[in-house]
Amino acid sequence: MRGRGTILLLMLLSTVLMGCGGPEPATGQLTLAAPRDLVAGPRDPYYTHQTLRVWEPLVTVDDRLRPVPALAVSWASADRGRRWTFTLRDGVRFSDGTPLTAGAVVANVRRFLRIAPRQSAFFSLDAGMEAAYGKLRDVRAEDGKVVFELAEPVADLPGRLAGFFSMIQSPGAFASSGDFAGKPVGTGPYTLVEWVKGQRAVLAANPHHHGGAPAYDRIVIRVIPDANARVAALRAGEVDGLIDKGALLPGQVGAVAADDGFRVVRSPSALTHYLTFNAARGPFSDARLREAADLALDRRAIARTLLGGTATPGAAFLSPVFGELADPGVSAPYDPARARELVAAAGAPAGPVSILISSAETGQFPYAGIAEVLRAALEKAGLPARVTVAEATKSVMEAGDYDIFLSAYSVPNGDPDYLFRRFLRSDASWNVERRLGYRSAAFDDLVDRAATEIDPDARRGLYHRVQRLLAADRPMIPLAYQDNPVVTTSRVGGVTQNAAYVVDLGELVPRR
Amino acid sequence: MTAVVLRRGAELLLTLLTVSVLVFLLTSLAPGDPAEEILRRGGVQPTAAGVAALRAELGLDRPLFTRYLEWLLGVLRGDLGTSYADRSPVAAEIFSRVPATLRLAGAAALVAAGLAVLVSVRVTLRPHAPGSRAIALATVALTGVPPYIVGILLISVVAVGLRALPTGGDGGPGAVVLPALTLGLAGAATLLRLLRADLADALRQPFVKLAAAKGLRARRTVLVHAVRVAAPNAVTAAGVVLAELLAGAVVVETLFSWPGVGQLAVSAIRQRDVPVVQAYVLVTGAATVALLACVELCLAACDPRVRRR
Repeated sequence: MRGRGTILLLMLLSTVLMGCGGPEPATGQLTLAAPRDLVAGPRDPYYTHQTLRVWEPLVTVDDRLRPVPALAVSWASADRGRRWTFTLRDGVRFSDGTPLTAGAVVANVRRFLRIAPRQSAFFSLDAGMEAAYGKLRDVRAEDGKVVFELAEPVADLPGRLAGFFSMIQSPGAFASSGDFAGKPVGTGPYTLVEWVKGQRAVLAANPHHHGGAPAYDRIVIRVIPDANARVAALRAGEVDGLIDKGALLPGQVGAVAADDGFRVVRSPSALTHYLTFNAARGPFSDARLREAADLALDRRAIARTLLGGTATPGAAFLSPVFGELADPGVSAPYDPARARELVAAAGAPAGPVSILISSAETGQFPYAGIAEVLRAALEKAGLPARVTVAEATKSVMEAGDYDIFLSAYSVPNGDPDYLFRRFLRSDASWNVERRLGYRSAAFDDLVDRAATEIDPDARRGLYHRVQRLLAADRPMIPLAYQDNPVVTTSRVGGVTQNAAYVVDLGELVPRR
Repeated sequence: MTAVVLRRGAELLLTLLTVSVLVFLLTSLAPGDPAEEILRRGGVQPTAAGVAALRAELGLDRPLFTRYLEWLLGVLRGDLGTSYADRSPVAAEIFSRVPATLRLAGAAALVAAGLAVLVSVRVTLRPHAPGSRAIALATVALTGVPPYIVGILLISVVAVGLRALPTGGDGGPGAVVLPALTLGLAGAATLLRLLRADLADALRQPFVKLAAAKGLRARRTVLVHAVRVAAPNAVTAAGVVLAELLAGAVVVETLFSWPGVGQLAVSAIRQRDVPVVQAYVLVTGAATVALLACVELCLAACDPRVRRR
């Protein structure tokens, strides 16, 4: 009786265990995991994230956020930035076999304009696609080229279009409503063959790809939202790598990088941690106290210790990924003695200042720890402080009930104008509604001039002046420039990531 | 019996209506603006005009009471609304994930019930053996540890260390083992304690002495006769535990990337996808209420004393 029971139990166990080992992955298949679903579905403006390489844009960015050719091989501007002409790559076909033409590009632009404003899981479309085109008057196909006519000059249209805002898919992929009629039909090295929402996407090599077939026939991307579960899947050999924004948390990087079986690729991203001051009320309406807070911060220690070396100390408003537009002349020294002097001169506030963080962000970055370090630094400088964690920081800020807000921001394309215009211009909703209290005619004027200045040297000069102005005024100060570490096993090579977290799946190759 | 069913049915409807009001109010009055949250998903700052346009499109600018009535009418027609995040129908999304959650809860219930019966019978049969005490102690201690810690331990030992089972996902029959074990251990504690106490009580009844006098073996007395007498309380508790398993699935599903409704709820909460959160709370609330009502009807059918209450 007992013996039979044991045998039955063993048989049951062995069936269960056999079932879960699963077949060995076929050669040519790669399995990756990401924290979020990189497919958003037929009602999203893009259907898939750029990383999947199902579709390609006209222009993309490199690791310095510079616009570089993708489907457009070159571009030229005329009429002082009011007319831009893009020349397309020859011999490109969509995955349905139809050729890429200037007419197809125009159809994509018109579709964007028709469906905007439209939310997206990736980058939402403004009304009139303002972040992309500024004020677009007309777009047309001319001699096989694409011509954008703008009502107002744009200094760097390729930079603005880089990435999602110049996605090109076969016009046949769209229904008359502007939603997708079926699967996405792009020009990239992969096509989307299967999608289980919130769980996995399966990509297959696109036989029509203009750059030749990619190294892997199939790529499976699993969605694993929990950070510990992602690393466990990597260590258990279930996935060959982790990609996308926040693939590895700062606290996980050290242990994973120490393992010889894995290769961690750290590349700078456009994401920057900023401190936003509420200068609409005391004490930070006093510029001396903002300066004191700035000097009291040990950015190096925060970047090295709390952010686990995945970030570098902030100085200029634009991070180094903005290349020559970032001002290398701006520095942010750590000088607690001077901070104390400034507080003593200005007079310490009666109550503690409030450092606000969002509970939505504490999962990805150690904001609770950073806020604690900020609190201690401010107190040492003579500014009593307390930390507030809120679920809905927007309502807290709109009520003006904060003094410092810690949060991270990025750009949707390669254009720094976005940061200045959306956050700090005198009429920016961030500035007005969140009560930053920053009103500077000089800043507004410099930003407007830079946005339409087509001479690269003059534009660079204007942006450097903008950053020096911000370094003196301090409405928002950069705390740290964040990297985005991704990891693969050592059997995967060719891992590159641009400043917009796009790992080029088309370049991945097996390594022996 | 018919009167009991009718009265309980009316109470059930009232409960569900109250649940619906609470669900709607709590999720709608939560601070934060879903429109802005949705537009910010790419990590960039939306324009004020964009936020206003989306608020109007989602109907967030209309009075709360109007929104509640429309939502309730929709729910009565089986329409749970459309997701703020990607405009897909919520009902289809929830119900496509129900089977996975039921599979996990069912497997966890088997683990919980099996563990409770095995351990309590063993402890009752040999109450003084050191092994029995150790098992009882270990089980109670283990069931007192929160599921996410048990889960992480199981993942690192069984999945990462031994590579015997997958760390998560739903990619094969073995995938359910670790999450079910994690969830089942949490449910086993209540059942185990009840069953042990009731078994001990049952063994003090006169019929046990009679059985012993008749020469029946102790194992047969416990397994066949005493368990039957001790079962009703545990069965009642099992209903509650099953409801707890459905609710507790949120943590375990997230930890093991299990594609059930709990995981959906967590990602919806992160994205402020209010219609999905509302539907999740409503559906699990209704399931819990219905489950408890079923347990009560079962007891009423067996026991005339319950009917008279």
